[in-house]
Amino acid sequence: MNNRLEMHDITRTFADGGLQRTILDRLNLKVAEGELVAVMGPSGSGKSTFLSIAGALLEPTGGEVLIDGKSIIGLDKQALSELRLRKMGFIFQNANLIPYLKVEEQLMLVAKLAGSSKEACAARADELLQKMGLTHRKNAYPHKLSGGERQRVAIARALMNDPAVLFADEPTASLDASRGLEVVAMIAKQVKEQRKSAVMVTHDDRVLPYCDRVFYLDKGKLTEHPV
Amino acid sequence: MYLALREIRFAKARYTLIAAIMLLISFLVLFVTGLAQGLAYDNAASIQNMPATHFVLEQGSDHRFTRSQISGEKLEQTRSVVGESNAEPLGVQMTSVVLSGDIQKIDVALLAVNPKGWLAPDLTMGTSEKQVTDGVVVDEKLAEHGVKLGSILVDQASGTRWTVTGFVKNESFSHAPAVFLSKEEWMGLHSPSSAQSGSGSAEGQAAYNAVAVKATEVQVSKLQSAVPNTEIIKKADAVSAIPGYKEEQGSLLMMIAFLFVISAFVLAVFFYVITIQKTSQFGILKAIGTRTAYLAGSVTLQVLLLSVFSLAVSIFLVKVLEMALPGTMPFQLGADMLALTCTAFIAMSLAGSLFSVWKVARIEALDAIGRAAA
Repeated sequence: MNNRLEMHDITRTFADGGLQRTILDRLNLKVAEGELVAVMGPSGSGKSTFLSIAGALLEPTGGEVLIDGKSIIGLDKQALSELRLRKMGFIFQNANLIPYLKVEEQLMLVAKLAGSSKEACAARADELLQKMGLTHRKNAYPHKLSGGERQRVAIARALMNDPAVLFADEPTASLDASRGLEVVAMIAKQVKEQRKSAVMVTHDDRVLPYCDRVFYLDKGKLTEHPV
Repeated sequence: MYLALREIRFAKARYTLIAAIMLLISFLVLFVTGLAQGLAYDNAASIQNMPATHFVLEQGSDHRFTRSQISGEKLEQTRSVVGESNAEPLGVQMTSVVLSGDIQKIDVALLAVNPKGWLAPDLTMGTSEKQVTDGVVVDEKLAEHGVKLGSILVDQASGTRWTVTGFVKNESFSHAPAVFLSKEEWMGLHSPSSAQSGSGSAEGQAAYNAVAVKATEVQVSKLQSAVPNTEIIKKADAVSAIPGYKEEQGSLLMMIAFLFVISAFVLAVFFYVITIQKTSQFGILKAIGTRTAYLAGSVTLQVLLLSVFSLAVSIFLVKVLEMALPGTMPFQLGADMLALTCTAFIAMSLAGSLFSVWKVARIEALDAIGRAAA
C-alpha cells in the first residue's frame, strides 16, 4: 500500500503569554492511496493547526511531513507554494471560490498557474465538471450557484492539478444535511477513483460512513475510532 | 494577467469609477502642461526661436534685456572674440502702437535685428526677402487687430510711422506680439536728437540692449574678460528673466506636480482599500498555491491598465480640445512633452500601487484555513 501522506512525530507549540502551549504532541498519521480519513475533535483541539501543517501552510515545531514519500520540511516559501499548487488540493469550509471567475475559469486558473497548456486545461476542466455534474453551470459566476454547487466546484478545483493529497476543512459546514452528504460522497468517490489520499476535518457525524477511518484529535494526539 | 483582466470584467462599475477619476486628473495634467508650454512659448517665443547660445548684457541689468544698454564698441569687442558672424546686435523695447486710422492701442515688443543677420525671423507672408529695411515685419497675431500688408503702425511714444511689409509666425516677447525693425529704424527711434544734429556717433553710444552670440564655453569665458562691464548669460537664463516668466511657469508647474501626487494618492488609496477588502481572497489564492509575485503582478497590471487607458482617452480629448481652441489661446503640447508627461503619470501610478503590492505580499495563506467566509 502506498501512503501519499505521512506525518511523523509532528509537534507544534505556541508561545502563549510566556508559556509554551503544546497544540500537537508527537502526532502520527499515514493516509494510504484511495483512502479518505476524517479528523474530528472539539473546538480548540488543534484541528486547524493540524490541517495547516499537513497542508504545508504552517511549519511544525518538530517532526516530518511526507508527500508522496518526500519530506516538505525546510522548503522555502516558493517551493511550498509550488507544492501546494501541484501536490495538494484544498476544499475550504465555504468553498471560497474567486468571486469574479466563472466556474470553468476557477479550474483554468489553477491549471494555468501550474503552467499547463490551454488545451490540456480545458479538457481536464470539462472532464471534472462533468464528473461533478456541473457542465451546464460552467459559465456561471459563484454567486449564482447554490451552496452545494459551489462546494462541488471547489472539489473540482482541488482535483484540477491531479494532486497527491486532498485536504477538506469542514466542507459540509455551510450546507444542509443532504447536500453535505452528497458533497462528501463525491469527495470519497473521487478519492477512490483517482487514487488520492484525503484528510477531512469535520464536526459532522453523519458523513462518517463515507470515511475509511475516523480519528479524534485530543490533547495533541490522534486516536483512531471505529467507524 | 488572467486574474487582473477577469476581475476588471466582473467589477466593471468599480473600475470604471476609478478610471473616470484617473481620466479627469490625467486630462487636467495634460491640459495644464500644454497651457504652461504654450504660455512659456508665447512669453518668450522670439528669444527661444533665436539660434543664439548666449547673450551679452550690461552689468547690473539682472538678465533683463530692457534694462541693459550695450554700445557699438562692446559689440565690436564681442565680435573680436567670437568672430564677426557669430555676434548680432539686438534691441528690445516694449511699446504700444495704433493702426493708422484706428484708435485701438496694441501692445507690442519692438525687436531690432539686422535684417540680413541670423536673428531675422523667417517670413510667412509679405516680401519674399528679409527686407525689414523697408518697414517692419510683424507677428501674425496682429492680423486679428486688422493689420494687413501695407498697413501703417504709429508708435505711441515717438510718433514714428512704420509700414508693415511682412508677417512672421509665433514671434512674441513678454506675451506681446513682436514687431521686427531694422537697425536704421531703431536708431531713428532712439536718437532723434543726434540725428538732427548730424552727429554720426550715435551708433557708438548706447545703441542696443544686448548682443546675441553663438559661442562655445571656452569663448564665453574669454568674453567675460574681453568685454568689461557686461554679463554673459545663457539663453535659458534670458528667457526666465523675462518679467513674469518664472512666476507664471512656477505656479503652473506646482499645479502639475500636485496633480501627479494626487493621482498617485487616489490610486494608492483605492487599490489599498480594494486589497484590504480582498485579504481573505488573496489568502485563499496563496493557500491553493498562487505565488505572491503573481498576485502582486496582477495588482500592478490593473493599475497599469487603468492609467494607460485613462491616459489614452485624455490624450484624445486634449487633442480634440487643441483643435477646438482658438489660435490665440497659448496651448502647446509637443510629442516630446506629451511622452514625458505620460511616462511621469504612469510612473506615479505605479508608485501608488506599491503600497497595495506590499500589503498583498504580507497576506498569509494560513488565514484560509478555519475561516467561515471568503
